[in-house]
Amino acid sequence: MSVAIVDYDMGNVSSVQKALQAIGVENVLSKDPEVIARSQYIILPGVGAFAQGMENIRNAGLERILTHEVMEKKKPFLAICIGLQLLASEGTEPVSTQGLGWIEGKVIKIEELDKRIPHLGCNELQAEKDGFFAEFDQKDFYFIHSYHFEVKDQTCIAARVHYGGDYVAAIQKDNIYATQFHPEKSQANGLRLIEKFIRENA
Amino acid sequence: MLKVRIIPILTFNGFALVKTKQFAQPRMVGNPVQAARVYNSRGVDELIFLDIFASKQNRKQNLNIVRDVIKECFMPVGIGGGIKTIEDIQALLKIGADKVVIKTQALTNPDFILEASNFFGAQCITISADIKKQEDRYMVHNELGIEISMEEFIVQMQKLGAGEIILNAVDYDGMMQGFNLDMINMASKLTQLPLVCVGGGGELSHYKELFENTPCEAVGSASIFHFTQYTPLDIKNTLKEIGKPVRI
Repeated sequence: MSVAIVDYDMGNVSSVQKALQAIGVENVLSKDPEVIARSQYIILPGVGAFAQGMENIRNAGLERILTHEVMEKKKPFLAICIGLQLLASEGTEPVSTQGLGWIEGKVIKIEELDKRIPHLGCNELQAEKDGFFAEFDQKDFYFIHSYHFEVKDQTCIAARVHYGGDYVAAIQKDNIYATQFHPEKSQANGLRLIEKFIRENA
Repeated sequence: MLKVRIIPILTFNGFALVKTKQFAQPRMVGNPVQAARVYNSRGVDELIFLDIFASKQNRKQNLNIVRDVIKECFMPVGIGGGIKTIEDIQALLKIGADKVVIKTQALTNPDFILEASNFFGAQCITISADIKKQEDRYMVHNELGIEISMEEFIVQMQKLGAGEIILNAVDYDGMMQGFNLDMINMASKLTQLPLVCVGGGGELSHYKELFENTPCEAVGSASIFHFTQYTPLDIKNTLKEIGKPVRI
């Protein structure tokens, strides 16, 4: 049971590693396609700007291997924060950029005139009933983002978060799990979520 | 609803945690790793760790100590002190920092903020501004001979892509007599960025006063946790009583 955490120079990767260690899950931080291919799960973490994230994925030669493992081999996959956003067809931070395109939609800036941006801090999930995220409904998770994913296919949306308007907080489709929030930074709730992702896909 | 944030601030001198009064008289208050462990066990919302002498002494952060501090934390951590380059930021993010806190470089080379924000995203770039009233204006306090008002600086930082601003009231630092509400109200109107209000908390009533009389959504504190029995949870319970959303 090993998890490959995709290391593409986009921030908080070691926090994800620490979270996996805390729940006793074997893991490896890597950008090596062979290591990613051998792993049982893939986690795509990250903080940063969309364009830079895609550039790093492409420069590291990871787009093809990730697409093969996740979209064709259907390996359990968890994407966090910028990881979730990179699944989109298109991003706009800071300029229009093509994403991985696994989930149709566009990542755009949060426009809330009377709210502070970024949306920063703990906020509770409004989770869909009966889904993977249902047990985390009304639970606090840590968010930090100025952009949000406008997902086209509403059935992919597993949880929303309210901040002026409602924004996509989590996506679930087949083997793809993605969170706009940071489970690795959300203490007990977050560890429980990561543990559930591992357990349910064992 | 977005919860208000109560953020302990650890100020470090390169060897130990210190706490200043009005930015002077640093007094040793303990070991950073131990402090981080305690705050993690108390489930605080966030932690800020600042090496307050790194820029002045023209040295880099001690990454080994920072790594040990971050290792204790399952909450977001902002790290500041002596950050000058993209590589400095990369090194801190690599060991688990979520945000970096930039002060001196934001004053001496503002365009660096734009570069850093484009590279790492605005959410990663926190600016620290030390504010002091000079004659009738709030100015950014510094020892670099740079004259810039709070207003000008905040507007400039937002434009360059900062993601958050820590607002330190220099004259209120360590005094534990209450916050500078006037400054906080003024700064809140200048920007849409999240602000972390710092300087002056010593009693639970000070926090109540802060949140009742300003649009403050995040507060940073040190002295109250070092020198009184109050914990971040006590502050949250106080804020809950006045109807503020808190994470408990």
